[in-house]
Amino acid sequence: MDFMDLMYFYLPVALTSINIFYPIGLGLAVGILSGLFGVGGGFLMTPLLIMLGIPSTVAAATDSNQIVAASTSGTYAHWKVGNVDFKMGFHLLIGGFVGGLMGVQAIKILRAMGNADFVIKMTYVLMLGLVGAYMFIESLQGIRKKSKGHGSGVKAEKESAIGRLLKSLPLQTHYEKSGVAHSALIPIVFGGFVGILAAIMGVGGGFLMVPVMVYILRMPMHVVVGTSLFQILFTCIEVTFLQAYTNHTVDFILAALLLLGSTLGAQIGTVFGRKLKGEQLRILLAGIVLIVTVKIVLELTLTPSLLLSQAGGH
Amino acid sequence: MQKIKNQRSKIKIVVFLIFKFLILNSALAGELSAQLTTKVNHDHIKIDFFYHGSEVNVSGASAPGTDIVIKITSPEAQQILRRKGKAAGLLWMNVGELEFDRASNLYFLHSTQKINDILSQDEMDRYVIGYPALKKHIEVAQVNDEDEKNRWFNEFVKFKELSRLYAISFGQIILNQTESGQNYSIKLNWPYQATPDEYLVTVYAVKDKKVVEKAEARMVVEQVGIVKTLANMAKNNGAIYGIISIVAALAAGFGVGMIFRKGGGGH
Repeated sequence: MDFMDLMYFYLPVALTSINIFYPIGLGLAVGILSGLFGVGGGFLMTPLLIMLGIPSTVAAATDSNQIVAASTSGTYAHWKVGNVDFKMGFHLLIGGFVGGLMGVQAIKILRAMGNADFVIKMTYVLMLGLVGAYMFIESLQGIRKKSKGHGSGVKAEKESAIGRLLKSLPLQTHYEKSGVAHSALIPIVFGGFVGILAAIMGVGGGFLMVPVMVYILRMPMHVVVGTSLFQILFTCIEVTFLQAYTNHTVDFILAALLLLGSTLGAQIGTVFGRKLKGEQLRILLAGIVLIVTVKIVLELTLTPSLLLSQAGGH
Repeated sequence: MQKIKNQRSKIKIVVFLIFKFLILNSALAGELSAQLTTKVNHDHIKIDFFYHGSEVNVSGASAPGTDIVIKITSPEAQQILRRKGKAAGLLWMNVGELEFDRASNLYFLHSTQKINDILSQDEMDRYVIGYPALKKHIEVAQVNDEDEKNRWFNEFVKFKELSRLYAISFGQIILNQTESGQNYSIKLNWPYQATPDEYLVTVYAVKDKKVVEKAEARMVVEQVGIVKTLANMAKNNGAIYGIISIVAALAAGFGVGMIFRKGGGGH
């Protein structure tokens, strides 16, 4: 009986008791994904926390606090092996910050129009589905080509066509770590675009930022993962503070339990990631994104067992 | 471990009666008068770091031949819940909110026998005993007709029962006959989902389908220690709380990163 008591912690903000192995295990699993793919994992973590009985607003806010720890651990691990492009990360952040502010305004307008939830859900499903499907097909083709011994000649041609357009923009910058040259406006604009969508959907946006870096900024996959984590770290610091300050929904004890697992998981993910090729990493991430898409589509179409839930959050 | 044991035994020792009074029912006075008593053995539940619910005993004495109904409720308030519905005619999502007025967050009802067999509907309505009476008592804003109210009240109860905050049972109360009457007692699992609040325990002595006596006791559930400190801080000092949460997360992330480097896991 006494041992059993020690396995449960009471969460002061979520106002519920939890078996500590659930958040630690969940943190470990999501942390591994974080270190592998450079995503925060909120699209997995938040619904699972709600399933464990955590109110949805507390789940989302606490997850961002936890991601601060996981992405610090992951960024640190990737930085040690030279996989973080700080210059690129900084430019994406500028865009992301401005985009986030615009997204929050967009939500206010949507809410005033009255069908915000519908638009948010649809945006989420479409973005997940499109990004997942594109990444899946692209990386599958990449793996096939490589196994047939073809080079990437076709890609190079395509690149030069788009490249000419991008090269004509001002503020041309060389990003040494990624080995690419772009106008600084490109990461700022696309960072902003992800920021707007992420704010509307109420997620960190790692699953959008990773494809932007891979397909638009043409960065090598391993640098993408490290740089994405660096970018996520700052976004989540901002979100954690705002949630704690305005909504009082960050549960410190829950975050501590989650980060026990996730900081370790991020290190494990980084080690695994180094053993995998870029295409392999992308196809795995695409698979996870598509599974989440299917799960949300099922949630939308099957009759729910409960028609009422705790109010608060979006 | 020792600390928890001490706390538990302390709680067990603190068995005292807070509040007790008797109400005479006009019709059936006489021999039944002023015999109903009640006490809650665990009337001050402390939520500490290792809290995982508790056990509550409600017991007392009543006149011979009476049935007992025990009701535990939290103060009535307005409860706002999100409502799922079909958007655009085919997709399930949150489509709005529903307000349940005069609704308790927690509602437990335990009786010696099936409630419909020992009380008339009028009496149940009068004392808000049982779900049908509760349905009449609670007001649901934004519903157009009785059918809609029924549907959403049932959903409300389903939601609350799943959260272990609403429960109805019969036959779990133990009755022991004594020389002067009878003693009743029930052992209840107190759910950790019940939030800090002051709960009211109302015991009804029932005879001939009527409530003949009523006794009340109060139970306080409150946070203590670290749980209380953190909850207060989150509520009252959001900025500092947020900064501490962020700094702790950063430190943990760097800490684990350093450990891995020292551990020689590098490339």
